[in-house]
Amino acid sequence: MQQTAAMELAVSLSAVVKTFGAVRALDGLDLEARTGEVHGFLGPNGSGKTVTIRVLLGMYRHDTGTALLLGGDPWRDAVELHRRVAYVPGDVNLWPSLTGGEVIDLLGRLQGGIDEGRRAELVERFDLDPRKRSRTYSKGNRQKVALVAALASDAELYVLDEPTAGLDPLMEAVFQDCIAELAAEGRTVLLSSHILAEVERLCDRVSIIRRGRTVQTGTLAELRHLTRTSISVETERPVTGLDELSGIHDASELEHRLEFEVDSDHLDAAIAHLGGFGIRALTSHPPTLEELFLRHYGDELADAGVGNDHTRA
Amino acid sequence: MSTLAGTGELLRLVLRLDRVRLPIWIAAILVFIWVSAASVIGLYPDPESIEAYVALVEGNPTLIAVEGPGIGFESPNVGVVLVNETTTWATIALSLMAVFLVVRHTRTEEDAERTELLLARQVGRHALLAASLVVVASAMVLVGALTVALLVALGLPTAGSVAVAAAFVAVGLVATSFAAVAAQVMSSARGALGMGVSFVGVAYVLRAVGDVGNEFVSWMSPIGWAHRIRAFAGEDWWVLALFLASAVVLVAAAVVLSDRRDLGSGIVAQRPGPARAPRWATSPFGLAWRLQRGSVIGWSIGLFVLGLVYGTVGRDVEQLFEDNPDFEQFLAQADGASITDTFYAFTLALGAMMACGFAISSVLRIRSEESAGRVESILATPTSRSVWAGSHLAVTVLGAAVVLAASGAGTGIGLAFSVEDPEQLPRMFGASLGYVPAVLVLAGLTMLLVGKLPRLGMVSWALLAIVLVIGLFGDLFELPQWVRNVSPIEQTPSLPAEAFRPLPFAMLVGTALVGAGVGVVALRRRDIPTT
Ligand SMILES: Nc1ncnc2c1ncn2[C@@H]1O[C@H](COP(=O)(O)OP(=O)(O)OP(=O)(O)O)[C@@H](O)[C@H]1O
Ligand SMILES: [Mg+2]
Repeated sequence: MQQTAAMELAVSLSAVVKTFGAVRALDGLDLEARTGEVHGFLGPNGSGKTVTIRVLLGMYRHDTGTALLLGGDPWRDAVELHRRVAYVPGDVNLWPSLTGGEVIDLLGRLQGGIDEGRRAELVERFDLDPRKRSRTYSKGNRQKVALVAALASDAELYVLDEPTAGLDPLMEAVFQDCIAELAAEGRTVLLSSHILAEVERLCDRVSIIRRGRTVQTGTLAELRHLTRTSISVETERPVTGLDELSGIHDASELEHRLEFEVDSDHLDAAIAHLGGFGIRALTSHPPTLEELFLRHYGDELADAGVGNDHTRA
Repeated sequence: MSTLAGTGELLRLVLRLDRVRLPIWIAAILVFIWVSAASVIGLYPDPESIEAYVALVEGNPTLIAVEGPGIGFESPNVGVVLVNETTTWATIALSLMAVFLVVRHTRTEEDAERTELLLARQVGRHALLAASLVVVASAMVLVGALTVALLVALGLPTAGSVAVAAAFVAVGLVATSFAAVAAQVMSSARGALGMGVSFVGVAYVLRAVGDVGNEFVSWMSPIGWAHRIRAFAGEDWWVLALFLASAVVLVAAAVVLSDRRDLGSGIVAQRPGPARAPRWATSPFGLAWRLQRGSVIGWSIGLFVLGLVYGTVGRDVEQLFEDNPDFEQFLAQADGASITDTFYAFTLALGAMMACGFAISSVLRIRSEESAGRVESILATPTSRSVWAGSHLAVTVLGAAVVLAASGAGTGIGLAFSVEDPEQLPRMFGASLGYVPAVLVLAGLTMLLVGKLPRLGMVSWALLAIVLVIGLFGDLFELPQWVRNVSPIEQTPSLPAEAFRPLPFAMLVGTALVGAGVGVVALRRRDIPTT
């Protein structure tokens, strides 16, 4: 029973600490990606995403906490586990004298074989010239080489560290299609990214980290629920007593128009309260992903501690 | 905007980047000059001892090759001895310093795509080249000035001290300008370094061979010119004009070439390559071989040619020796080995010391793959750390054998033709391969550093410096035997002058294996990449 529970998690990190001398890069990080889901992995620059991924791939040895990759120990069983994992590093560095095509073949065969059809299809879709030496590739083209090499392999888990850095919008769309196809085939993807539209479109669940700790994890709907909705309302009579309600922020009144933000779990009470003043017009917009992240990346949260208890604060 | 705009600002940048490296180079070279000068003055206090030195060197091809041609031996003084003993190696050291520093600040920066960050500002196209050349040239001049002060303080005549220091600086400046050209011609920093180091090697070999054989050949080498300034022997100042002219021509060539090429590329354009990798190249060993193949071939050609050139003076070696008045005394010294064998035991050992350079750079590939961020992609596949590092080490072992074989083959072929004795080829070939275990000791120690103390990987070059100092200056500095025994080259019986003994070989192989083994185990346990 325990075993099957573990197997349903492609990635499972709990309370992982990783220090480099005095630097605490991971400070009790938790991360779970379920088998078959596309998991977004977000956080500001320097928050520890790349370090986490390197721990997962057995390149860094963590100090304390437990890390499981596809049910195995990522450090001890690295070689066996890597048969089932494909990776795009955060910083793509290629051998300057090898051509892109040679790099794809090299990594593909080291991975244990290459699906010729899929390789050809991806080279075509990403519009890559495989005959150029790596030293002459543009940034985006280097990224494409790494992407084609990873996506062409038949893996259970795809670990992608900012895979679309440097891609043009057309290639970004191709990438999103590829990930959607992988997801449809039931493969697991761990996707670290700063491109929120991409995350919003592709990910089933996301984890947000800050300074080496997980501050939030869940589906996008769940995360939205934990944040605020903006309300703009016109009423027949001036609204009173709003400040007695809990969960109301940044209220401002302009003639008949009232604007405020409300924590999503107090939305119902707020709307009920407004109803007593005769609503003429009301617009509400749910938080965009940007707002969500700005809040989580912002300093106030760090100071308040963990993100998900801000409603009670 | 002037193509030199911003040079002043870049000067400061270059100095900032080299605030450790540059003082180390300068101090190391000055210490070498100081120790050499002090030991020469101590060893040759009176005319008798100087006469004895002259007699020893004049007829001895090995000493002519390792030291100098003996300019001014007709009326010798202690200054002449000093010039003969130090000029070759001080100029080589200054030239290598020039090549490493110039390439580092021009081509390496360009490869790392940092140069464009600068060029986008108020910085002219030639500013970085100019700043690098100014810094390196100033360092040379500083070394020269301090050398004059040092020698005068030790009691040597001023004119001669200035002349010898000027000779050092002049060779350094020619190498500096040559490095500037190499940085334009080649399409990568690695290539430029190779070209620059080859220049120094060729200058050395032409000087050595010319001085043993036909003096005309020495006049093709800046190191040969340096000896011919005749410091302390009625200075021929006009020789300095040769240096000046070459430096000016080379810098002009570098400027013209840099105008004709694009940032990030060499004069030799990149052609498209194959779209698919051959099957052999896609294993960890195949990759390691591909990455190091150029270096193995380059070193092999270099040492083959070096050996060939040495070999062809075989006749002159015998001739010089027979003309030597101290013929009898010499034979007694050489423990019954023929003078030819003693000479070639030295040149093969010199080749082996260079092969140590190959071995160190080959093992450091493991580190550079790591620090350049390329190892992640490999280790994320089912390739273990041991297999990855082991593949590179296998190339090191194979490459060391190939490089030493080339050195022995070159020497053997040259010598066989020169003395018309085909037997010499297998003898020299075998003797050179005898250095494989010694060379691998350096490789093993480098692996130890790469595994255990990756940030100090470059320290392995200091090991090579130790081997070179012991091998080349052991006698001059009168190093005690226990110090000399530190060098694996010294531990190897000097074939073909000495007989083969299995024990030293077994001990060297054991040391190499332990070093590499501990290094690989440490590599398996640490974070990769360690930055
Ligand atoms: N090898 C190392 N030695 C010391 N500190 C390190 C090392 N690797 C990472 N760090 C530190 O750990 C922290 C997390 O870095 P990491 O690269 O994981 O950030 P990231 O979330 O991937 O950022 P980005 O979005 O910019 O890629 C940073 O403060 C970084 O400086
Ligand atoms: Mg990162």
